[in-house]
Amino acid sequence: MVLVQAIIDGILVGTTYALIGIGFTLIFGVMHKLNLAFAAASIAGAFASLVAWQHVKDLPVPLVFLISAAAAGVLGYVIYLTCFRFIPLKSPLATLMATVGMLIFLEEIVTHVSDGKAQNYPGMLPDARWTLGPLDIRVDYVLVFAISVAAMLLLLALLYRTRLGIATRAVAQQPVAAQLCGISLDRTNAATFVMSGVLGGLAGAMIGSSAELLSNLLPLQLTVKGLIVTVIGGLGSIPGAIVAGLLVGAVEKGVETWSVLARDLCVMLLIFVFLVAKPAGIFGKLNVRD
Amino acid sequence: MDYLYGLAQTIGVHTIIGLSAYVVLQTGQVTMAQAAFYAVGAYVSAMLTTLWGLNILIAIPVAALVAMVLAGLAGFPALRFKGLMLVVATMALGEAVREFFFNFDYQIAKGDLKVGPAGAEGFRQIRYFYERGWTTAEVAAFIWMFVIGIMALLWWMDRSRIGAVLRAVGEDELAAQSVGINLTAVKVSAFAIGGAIAGVGGALYAHYTTHVEHTAFGVLMATFAIAYPILGGLSSVFGTLIAVIFIQGLLIQWLPILIGGELRNLLFGLLILLAMNLRPRGLIDPRVARTLRGLFVRSPHA
Repeated sequence: MVLVQAIIDGILVGTTYALIGIGFTLIFGVMHKLNLAFAAASIAGAFASLVAWQHVKDLPVPLVFLISAAAAGVLGYVIYLTCFRFIPLKSPLATLMATVGMLIFLEEIVTHVSDGKAQNYPGMLPDARWTLGPLDIRVDYVLVFAISVAAMLLLLALLYRTRLGIATRAVAQQPVAAQLCGISLDRTNAATFVMSGVLGGLAGAMIGSSAELLSNLLPLQLTVKGLIVTVIGGLGSIPGAIVAGLLVGAVEKGVETWSVLARDLCVMLLIFVFLVAKPAGIFGKLNVRD
Repeated sequence: MDYLYGLAQTIGVHTIIGLSAYVVLQTGQVTMAQAAFYAVGAYVSAMLTTLWGLNILIAIPVAALVAMVLAGLAGFPALRFKGLMLVVATMALGEAVREFFFNFDYQIAKGDLKVGPAGAEGFRQIRYFYERGWTTAEVAAFIWMFVIGIMALLWWMDRSRIGAVLRAVGEDELAAQSVGINLTAVKVSAFAIGGAIAGVGGALYAHYTTHVEHTAFGVLMATFAIAYPILGGLSSVFGTLIAVIFIQGLLIQWLPILIGGELRNLLFGLLILLAMNLRPRGLIDPRVARTLRGLFVRSPHA
């Protein structure tokens, strides 16, 4: 029963990993490039909201989350400008390295803001519990789940119901053809970065809120975890990222009941299983040779 | 003076780890696993000298060999991927190796002291140089012997047929394959050579710091390993050396003295951004490399 409880917790909180995975996948889908600074920007957004929460008295918690999303959205645009806009597409190593530079930069800012230790973050109803038979479900985890799912639905609506969404998907499929149809690559790419940034900022806030702590180590941890989710789900696949996020969350919490030390090792083993058995990921097309 | 020799040691070891990534990057593969092979080299050589009292000149080749075999083995599955998938796969490999050393506990009583890798605490008491009374300068000279050896080897490789083959694979796999280059062989070889070089670097690192722990071999180290050759440019081994001197010497050692340690990483991140925007193909890009070669070498096909 402990295991079932842990797996349910893992799935609820795993939605935040799913959001991070979607962010990586979205940028990869549109630009065919990896933005290694994405997870760090998400956490930096959460830290921006933390600073606001610490300095403004009685700031309502939903507003804190919105600030996190907005700040990460702005950071997304900054990353686009500094790491992608002016670097020639022909040098993939250069953009990769530039995002690494951005990652180091953001991580250092987070270290400064956090004073090198974990900081308190506003939670949602931390003590509320629902008892379902032998299970004890934390209400704030359910809220995290609900908010994350709402964000995903919003993103899907944006991608499949608006003109911007059509443009984004067109650029992802065929950049040249999209350009010939009069779609501005530059604006579409920038919009994608802002969209994924907003999602990431929300995920960062959810991660902080579910633990009621924001750790200064999160930028690197979340980068690794987000990449794992992206690969397990299949590069460029949004449903894949969602399923993989839940899977990683469940495996993590499940293994944690057995041994905390083995947790990260097991997640690494999980990715090896996928790389060997199903290299395209859960929903990815077999397009491993970029 | 000891401070400078210490700096020379750091620069030497980082050059070696940078060069290990240089070989792999030349084939167009971005590897985040160099820190893992570096860790294997460090732990294996330190165990050989400290636990079993072997000579360091035996320990280093053995460590390099173990790292090379591991890299070769890792190379085969890694070949199924390219680009981003490879980044993630090798990153996972690196983290798995780091987690392994994090949990690795194997100690032997030596006198009244227990020595050996002790999990999270790391491996202390690697006193090989200290016990033999080597000075900092002698250790630095020993390290630079290896640096120069490896650089000479790679410089020669770059100008030989092997280098041309590596670069051909890196530039365009399809074209390389269609002129009869065996992609699998080339990529696995590059991985293995890179692994062996990283193993040598790790072995030297373990012996000059006397204390290694798993945190030294994380994602950050792997990032540094590929950052040096990318920033320096993949056209010449000297690019990597210059990048290491610039980053380790200037940014990490002297900059904090000038502007205070607080801002170091901020500036470091910004400088990488700036460098990549201004020189996307590295400090020594193919054009600069040709010009430099023209200055020093007068050959008919320069």
